[in-house]
Amino acid sequence: MISELFGWLFARLPFGDGLRGLVSPRTVRSLKRGLNRNALAKVGIVVVVIVLLVAVFAPLVAPDKPGTQNLEEARLPPLGFTKATVQEVPVQENGSVVFEDGEILTENRTVYENATIAHPLGTDGNGRDILSRLIYGARVSLLVGFLGTALAMFVGVSVGLVAGYYRGKVDDVLMRSADVMLAFPSIVLAIALIGVLGDSLEQSIPDPFVQSGLSEAVRSAIGLPTGMPETTTLPGTIIVVVALVNWVWFARVARGEALSLREQSYVKAARALGASDAKILARHVLPNAITPILVLGTIQIAAIILLESALSFLGFSSANVSWGFDIALGRQYQSTAWWIAAMPGLAIVITVVGLNLVGDWLRDALDPGIEGEGGV
Amino acid sequence: MSRESPGERDVTPNAGRDSTRERDASPRAHRDTGHERDRLRVENLTTRFFTEEGQVNAVESVSFDVREDEILGIVGESGSGKSVTALSAIDLIESPGRVTDGEVWLREPDLAEEFRERTPDAVDGDFVDLRRLPKGVRRSLRGPKFSMIFQDPMSSFNPSLTVGEQIAEAVEVQRRASANPRSTRSRTQGYGLGKLIVDTLVPGREYTSDASRERAIELLEQVGIPDPVERADEYPHQFSGGMLQRAMVAQALAGEPDVLFADEPTTALDVTIQAQILDLLRDIQRDRGMSVVLITHDLGVIARMCDRVGVMYAGEVVERGSLADVFEQPTHPYTQGLLGSIPDVEDPAPRLQPIEGNVPNLVDSEMPDRCYFADRCPKAMEACLERPAERPVDGDPDHTARCVLADGEYDPATALPDDYFEEDPEATDAPAEGGAADD
Repeated sequence: MISELFGWLFARLPFGDGLRGLVSPRTVRSLKRGLNRNALAKVGIVVVVIVLLVAVFAPLVAPDKPGTQNLEEARLPPLGFTKATVQEVPVQENGSVVFEDGEILTENRTVYENATIAHPLGTDGNGRDILSRLIYGARVSLLVGFLGTALAMFVGVSVGLVAGYYRGKVDDVLMRSADVMLAFPSIVLAIALIGVLGDSLEQSIPDPFVQSGLSEAVRSAIGLPTGMPETTTLPGTIIVVVALVNWVWFARVARGEALSLREQSYVKAARALGASDAKILARHVLPNAITPILVLGTIQIAAIILLESALSFLGFSSANVSWGFDIALGRQYQSTAWWIAAMPGLAIVITVVGLNLVGDWLRDALDPGIEGEGGV
Repeated sequence: MSRESPGERDVTPNAGRDSTRERDASPRAHRDTGHERDRLRVENLTTRFFTEEGQVNAVESVSFDVREDEILGIVGESGSGKSVTALSAIDLIESPGRVTDGEVWLREPDLAEEFRERTPDAVDGDFVDLRRLPKGVRRSLRGPKFSMIFQDPMSSFNPSLTVGEQIAEAVEVQRRASANPRSTRSRTQGYGLGKLIVDTLVPGREYTSDASRERAIELLEQVGIPDPVERADEYPHQFSGGMLQRAMVAQALAGEPDVLFADEPTTALDVTIQAQILDLLRDIQRDRGMSVVLITHDLGVIARMCDRVGVMYAGEVVERGSLADVFEQPTHPYTQGLLGSIPDVEDPAPRLQPIEGNVPNLVDSEMPDRCYFADRCPKAMEACLERPAERPVDGDPDHTARCVLADGEYDPATALPDDYFEEDPEATDAPAEGGAADD
């Protein structure tokens, strides 16, 4: 059933035409073969696709607004759990408190709070629905993950290809500056860069589902609370910072590929036919170097999501809904309401594992060393 | 001249060539006594590689000329500098190598006219010196004027593009180059990186034009690829080696080059396919009146294909002349040794006579200041302890040898003893590392 679904998907993906020149039919074949052999890869793809869909359609699927506070319902446990707290309450007799030696007499009583279907993953310290916050937090994490990786890939691959293709002094200057970036721990470097950039790049982007009124209509039809936030935060600073921290990996991989590809006869042939350096890089070097770069990309998305969470946890993100930020909020309730921190942590783990499974699948399917068939 | 329309050109394949002939008919004065049918004159070309082991003199003061409508063979052992010579001539030497000296004169009257005022040094009659032209102009000449076929067809095509597409792109580039021969900007107008990126990412868009793709299919047909329409849409790994080499020839022909360098075009192929490719090359050369520089280590290929021959040893052309001159009256002992080391079907000698020893290491510090071949030469004399100049054999300027025997006789009285060069162990025991610079 799932294999048929993937077969159907593959037949419709733009590999055949749109990416011609970037991904060869042989690559598509080995991708398919890798998928058939690797059940975990399917799990990874399913996880990543679900997280992506949830993030995109957040205003339609979130059970509640991510920011609605309700202290009456604070710290409700997730479904299947009951929270038992021991509270000190005044002993009451006939509706009035009892005094003993001039003080109010109290007793210890266990209070049970049950999970409610309205908050399947419980609520946080301010009574906000955790599931809704996770769904909106997925937007921030994935935006940072994908855009940050795309930016890092663009910068790193450009630098790496130029360095590897021209070698010599160009290579020395570019790669030594990359080494300088590597010399700093990534968190320290990121914090320093945030200090420089401030929140000048933060953007609020309108949410098309809310703006068009679609989400309100759907939500009121099925009886969910309306009034979803009209904008989503685009954490521009964080995106630029994680890209600046992580481009080095792409540069190193792209440089290595360019160094070997520039010696290929077809590059020489292209030069003998009068092709310019830019044309050779775009047409002959990049398409044949793309495989390891894509593999690195999937793994970097995961790493960047982790970095974003760490930065949010430390309070360096201006996004007020984010997995890392929510973990930080839950930290103070660690002993009484573990789910406030654990749920966003679980979301990070599941997403990162899913992305790594996809990355492993790409690497295994495309690495020429493993099957003896080239990924190019 | 019907440069723009491929269809028309095919009906009259010699159109371009005829107009060249007309120009030739007009009398013209040259500074030196070059042959009037010369298309390319290489003079004192010197290429060095600056490696960590030291300076490698891969090509040492090489001179040769390529005439129109002929095949010039360059033959020599591995590491003798054949390939580097060709790459130097078309300006494809890369760091750590550099062409340090010499001139590459190409007959190109239009270009000569344009640069006559601006850089008089770079112009001589109808000839321009490529090494003195600006870089952009040199690049614009690659393709429409020169082209090159490489040794290994399997790695000479980009595995991620179809064969037809790669040839079509070469056609497209050449077409633009000949439409705007002098301006890099107008050549790439509407055809730059932006278009490449858009056409790669947007489904259903093609980077090359329909006309170029049709021309690519015509070219594939001309080089004898069956079902060219279907084959054009296949990827390089779906082709056999011989078919790919044919496709490589088609790609090299995309710009209708005047001079085609073929660097060991048949080395990677089996014998029957070799013969087919060589026949194809010769047919195409004759049809188009092209000049071909054929680089090989195979004397049989030279004998079968070439009009004139240059023999290379240790980065130098040691002997050159017409095929008959070199093969029937070899003057340089190295040429004699080469010819003596191939079996003759008609006169099977009891033993072949190999040349003793190896090609010397071409690292500058280890190059002796004498004839480079003297240590292996059976006719080494005291006169060989000086570097010999290239001199005409028996006064014939078309047959030259870099040897004292060219205009002298072997004198046993001054012959060096057999163990003369063995006194200095470093000179003879040094491994032949010069090959690294060649391939």
